[in-house]
Amino acid sequence: MNQEEMFMKRIKQGEKIEATDWMPDEYRQLLIKLIHMHAVSEIMGAYPEKEWVPKAPSLRRKLAIMAKVQDEMGHGQLLLRIVEDLVYPLGKKREDLIEDIYYHRVKFHNVFHMEARTWADAGLIGWLVDGAAIINQAALLSTSYGPYARVLKRICAEESFHMQHGENIILTLAMGTAKQKQMLQDSLNYWWESLLFFFGPKEVTPAAERMIHYRIRTLTNEQLRQKFFDKYIPRIHSIGLTIPDPHLKYDTEKKCWVYTEPDWKKFSEIVKKNNGPKSRERIELRRQAHEGGRWVRQAMLCKPVG
Amino acid sequence: MTKKEVAEYGVYEVFIQKSYTDPHIHVGSLVAPTSELAMQWARENFLRRDSAVSLWVVQREHIDQTSTDFLARELDRKYREVRGYTENGRLWRMFKEKTLTIEEIVAAVEEKNRNLKSKNKK
Repeated sequence: MNQEEMFMKRIKQGEKIEATDWMPDEYRQLLIKLIHMHAVSEIMGAYPEKEWVPKAPSLRRKLAIMAKVQDEMGHGQLLLRIVEDLVYPLGKKREDLIEDIYYHRVKFHNVFHMEARTWADAGLIGWLVDGAAIINQAALLSTSYGPYARVLKRICAEESFHMQHGENIILTLAMGTAKQKQMLQDSLNYWWESLLFFFGPKEVTPAAERMIHYRIRTLTNEQLRQKFFDKYIPRIHSIGLTIPDPHLKYDTEKKCWVYTEPDWKKFSEIVKKNNGPKSRERIELRRQAHEGGRWVRQAMLCKPVG
Repeated sequence: MTKKEVAEYGVYEVFIQKSYTDPHIHVGSLVAPTSELAMQWARENFLRRDSAVSLWVVQREHIDQTSTDFLARELDRKYREVRGYTENGRLWRMFKEKTLTIEEIVAAVEEKNRNLKSKNKK
């Protein structure tokens, strides 16, 4: 049995692969692509919400949304550590992984290119964008890569708070004035398509197929999207909101949700070219933070005088 | 009287990982002349019954420890905890729904996983 066959045997037996184990190049590259994007999405995902920290409607809301922003940045750090170990043999470092953001060499999720226009948007991000992300992450808990599985376990535990936080903002608005309810409906209308796109294309792409082969992931995009529908559509309806899709219905024969597909082209351009409503502004802030902090990172390496 | 020759062993802290999806957890310490022997003795001391997938030994002087003050919590932090949002359950009931938990999502996804596995077997 050659190295590659031994490796696949381990995967098929449900063993976890560790950072220092031998792995095929393809496995490493797929992991780097997936986890780097995940890490960067956590970091760029903090921006839409941090924009609402100064404008939060109460002190408690301000503290809570700050705590969430801190969690997202923390998740980014945990995930970057994993990518660092994976890119180490390729001679890449943390600096490169961050620079990749503003040199447009790494993508992040479409939802974080969008604008958080109102407090309802901030709440909806907490409820549904996080909800979608949690479904994705829960499905990855069984991944074949050990370090990723362990970090995801921790991330998911912290997401429990995010879920309650998002629900609480939404429930408060749903019980509020007519104007607040309208704001919530407008928010759902703005985010719905983005949420559908978030899970990725319906067809299983060649890269996704390889990830399933290596058990990096086990479910397809469409299976995850359907899970999201199962859990969230009844709740969206219960609080009196209308989902902006006249064709949305549950097909009792096929046992799945039928829906109008999002504009795949529009959103994939946003992700590939970083040309969404807020992409450039947020990436520029990231660049400034990274470049501006360089002298601090270097200064901290110096030995204290005396 | 001649002074006794005393072999001074270093202290090693022992960490055990029970399964690949768990972190390494501190279980105790021992003294040993080398890290190789520390590992052998850790296995005999801490793993006579329980199984494990990985074991770490770390020389105590390589561990930096905080003070309790460093970890003090003066402020109420319920706003960042699930228990700070217990009213959600009551609010959802007003809308004839219930609060969503991470456990429910994990179960739903795993159910899909099981279905997938049984389908593959067919």
